[in-house]
Amino acid sequence: MLILDRISGFFHFIAQFFPPDLSRHYLSFLFAVNGDGPIVQSLSIALSGVFLAVLIALPLSIVIGARMPGWRLLYAALAVVRSIPDLTLAIFCVILVGLGPGAGMITLIIYYAVAMAKVFGEIFLSADPRPLDALRSTGASRISLAAFGLIPLKLSDVLSYGIYELESAIRASVIVGAVGAGGIGAELVGSLNNFDYHRVTTLILALVLLIVLVDRFCWLVRRHPVALAALPPAGIASLVYCWPQLFAMRHSIETFSKMLPPHLKPMQVRELPALILQTLGMAAGGTLCAALIALIAAPAASRGIAPAFLVQLTRRLQDFARAIPEVVWGLLLVTFVGVGPWAGGAALALHSSGVLGKLFAESLENVPPDPVRALEATGASRVAVAAFGNFPLAAGPIAVHTLFRFEWNVRAATVLGIIGAGGIGQALYESQQLFFYHEVLAYLLVTCAIVGLFDFASTNLRKRYRVSWEAVE
Amino acid sequence: MLKIQNLTVRYRREGHPVLYHLGLSAAAGECVALVGPSGSGKTTLLRSINASVAIESGEVWVGDVEVSSAHGAALRKIRSRIAFIAQKHDLVDRLKAYQNVMAGALGRWSTAHALRFLVWPQASELEEAREALESVGLAQKLKSRTTELSGGEQQRVAIARALVQHPLVILADEPIASLDPDTAAQVLELLCNLARNRAITLICSLHQPDLAQRYFHRMLRIRNGQAVPVPTASARARRAAAVTC
Repeated sequence: MLILDRISGFFHFIAQFFPPDLSRHYLSFLFAVNGDGPIVQSLSIALSGVFLAVLIALPLSIVIGARMPGWRLLYAALAVVRSIPDLTLAIFCVILVGLGPGAGMITLIIYYAVAMAKVFGEIFLSADPRPLDALRSTGASRISLAAFGLIPLKLSDVLSYGIYELESAIRASVIVGAVGAGGIGAELVGSLNNFDYHRVTTLILALVLLIVLVDRFCWLVRRHPVALAALPPAGIASLVYCWPQLFAMRHSIETFSKMLPPHLKPMQVRELPALILQTLGMAAGGTLCAALIALIAAPAASRGIAPAFLVQLTRRLQDFARAIPEVVWGLLLVTFVGVGPWAGGAALALHSSGVLGKLFAESLENVPPDPVRALEATGASRVAVAAFGNFPLAAGPIAVHTLFRFEWNVRAATVLGIIGAGGIGQALYESQQLFFYHEVLAYLLVTCAIVGLFDFASTNLRKRYRVSWEAVE
Repeated sequence: MLKIQNLTVRYRREGHPVLYHLGLSAAAGECVALVGPSGSGKTTLLRSINASVAIESGEVWVGDVEVSSAHGAALRKIRSRIAFIAQKHDLVDRLKAYQNVMAGALGRWSTAHALRFLVWPQASELEEAREALESVGLAQKLKSRTTELSGGEQQRVAIARALVQHPLVILADEPIASLDPDTAAQVLELLCNLARNRAITLICSLHQPDLAQRYFHRMLRIRNGQAVPVPTASARARRAAAVTC
């Protein structure tokens, strides 16, 4: 009976989200161009953030790519800042520059400047050394070396990674809103807190729409790079639009100095291992559930194994699970499951099942065709061919994707706490709400340590794994 | 056991036909070698026998089943009795040898049976795999990983898989192309002996006429889309011997 109650409760809860609030009043607020239209806010947070981030990242990455003095130090510094998750960074920016889209923009500028500087730097470092040596032998300076060698050599890689980051920035611009940095995220949290579930549905639809639009735009840019010319004016306009209204440098510096030195009470130090374990457990459980769901769904989403209509259906479901960021799933689940690591784990599982499902399906499709054809020739059924052929052949890539996802989910689990899903993030958020800034900084450092450690471990593991993977081939 | 009549295959509509009104019949236990240059249509012929190439017209009969008109379950059923051995790369290298061998049984097993076998193979199934491997001289490699086997051993595992299919016909597409000469001769001898002793029709494409002459009953060459005999004295003698036994 209890289970039946649960199930009917679940459907009752879901029913509360329908129909979405599509009243003219609400829509005109959502899409408002000037003032506080959440959609425009999210979009401008993303555009201005990425625009300024590119401007900062390019010179830094050239310093790394051209191996200018101090590039190793810069690279290490970038790696350290990179280990701060986006939402944690957003809390910091909210503390330093106040609520509103300005904080969101600054979060994205820092987050993406660091990410792009690091990756662009790595791309430049991987450039073919021979043409660069030829340039160097003409006595070219390092700057002209970059202008005539590095950038032309690696422009397409830099461009495609930049576009990828723009896609990811639109999701980030929504989720930073969850801690008060403006946009759809802030509106979503407000609606959830008011139990206004019809508007929650509207907002999720708006979010999916926004993501689809940006995806389309990025697709356009890949085909016609000329479309990129639209970005600088849009970026500048967004910058003006998002500029923090009450920004005062002195206030920010004073607030930051209040955080020093980082400090935790003895009781909090004792609780720390449990918090870390909770965060890691959330990540591990979420990844495991996602991998199981994805493993079951993957054959249904692979052309050549499942019939076309099933492939389409499964892929669209996976797209939907993937389009909604972990934090938004988390916000929804916290209202249903309640505050705690279960909501966080389930949020990670839902989002990751979409991501992994797609990746697994692609791995199953991309196996060498000859062994599969040989199995088909024995008269085996499609499922048997998949079990004896596609799955064993794709085992390597599937394991690598899962490992990748676990690392990503450790990062995501630290921020899910911020919206009430337990673990280290929740402790950080509670300290921030109580203005215990010494503790906030201490928890931030712990977060960095966890994320950095897993980043490092998985990078090493991947290197080693790739070697053994090639040895098998 | 294999009978082909008026087989025509072309890859592009209105294009030049690869096979044109080709006729061929081979008895149970007969070993037929297809020789000739690459691109003459040997692979196309082999692939149209197990219906993995769309044919334009003609009939292909295996036993008393017309493969060329079978669909769905009926096609799967007859394909399970037509074994195919390719040049290389057709084993699943992440499976163990016995799993690759028993993949030959997938055509007669239900899907549930196949899945159960992967996680929980029964003693009788392992015994069947061992017997098949024994007949290719690899019984001791039952549980080896496929990647640990040499090229010749892998090809013999593929032959064992073909045997598990209880085939009426074995189609071999240049099965020795990636093997060294000694191993190649051993593999061909094994293949032809198995076919003769178990009354399986063997159709095998080859690049080496000397090897074809040594082990096969007769040789064919595809010219202008038709199968033309390449007569040799010894081949004729062997053919006579095969008919009597």
